[in-house]
Amino acid sequence: MSVPRQAWLSALLAALDARDVLVAGLGGNARYLPHMAPRVPHWALCDSMGAAIPLALGMALARPTRGVVALEGDGSLLMNLGCLATVGAARAANLTVLIFENGAYESSGGQALPAVTVDFVAVALAAGFRRAERLSSADELGAALAQGRSTGGPTLFALPTRFDPAETIPPYSERPDEIRANFARALRGT
Amino acid sequence: MAGADVTSREGARRIVLALEAAGVSLVPTVPDTWIGWLMEPMRASRRLRVIDVAREEEAIAIACGATLMGERTAVVIQNAGLLNSGAVIASLVQLYRVPVFLLVSYRGDVRDPVYYHAPKGRATEPTLTAWSLRFARAEPTRIAAQVAQAYAFMDETREPFVLLFSAEDLA
Repeated sequence: MSVPRQAWLSALLAALDARDVLVAGLGGNARYLPHMAPRVPHWALCDSMGAAIPLALGMALARPTRGVVALEGDGSLLMNLGCLATVGAARAANLTVLIFENGAYESSGGQALPAVTVDFVAVALAAGFRRAERLSSADELGAALAQGRSTGGPTLFALPTRFDPAETIPPYSERPDEIRANFARALRGT
Repeated sequence: MAGADVTSREGARRIVLALEAAGVSLVPTVPDTWIGWLMEPMRASRRLRVIDVAREEEAIAIACGATLMGERTAVVIQNAGLLNSGAVIASLVQLYRVPVFLLVSYRGDVRDPVYYHAPKGRATEPTLTAWSLRFARAEPTRIAAQVAQAYAFMDETREPFVLLFSAEDLA
């Protein structure tokens, strides 16, 4: 059972703490997020496939008192699967990773991922994550994030996400200089 | 590496002091033999936190994340890993103008005539030039000034800087 991306994103934004920081990998998440007015500092990548998790890890290590949430696609994670071991080794207690699993390279036309089902939850646990779990409903996300926050991470949640080739995803709406300036401004204000 | 006495590690200690003086706090790294020598004093530093990373592109992205939160970082990788990292340098460091300092072990240059390192040694400086990256070779007698100048350059321009070092620079 897969869930529309926007339902996951709405549940996420409703569950964030005021001092959290969001990092979105390229694609649907990064294209939707600016239109959803997150009330926390957010960095939505328009390129750098596979970089969202290590970028978020650097933020988490630099500011251990802030929660950092990385949003990454399953295709992007496959491009950089070793980063889960880096996160596990770094023991970043304030880092949460959300993997949007839709089985497709959505941004580049919906091509299928390599024809194997990778269990990212099992990989994360084997790589030293403190907690990893696959959720089945957007209603579960708020409680899962709260629990991860109280027990400490790193934490990974796999989110089965519906892929609809006909979905109209908004284009990237912020340019790199704007993203950097908006992030710095939001960081100062929270 | 021919003839350099690296057992004293004085050069490595000078590099660590230079990074400390520059205000660096986080050092994401992927090891090679020379970096292993550099990491001994690096890990002993009370000011530098070494982050062991699985692959070099990650080290650069981690440094970007920490930089965006206000920390100073130094990425320590081999030139093989630098050559791996063209996409993240172009699409993260340069696209978003996040200045990152890269301290790179320069395998295969004229000071390191090992046949299997030679091809990447030949490719390193032309690749840095093609990527429009500012770089220098380490000079042991003025390493502190080189590091300070690199961070000043990055602060002014929001561009990255690459400092290439050889085994003899650690001696």
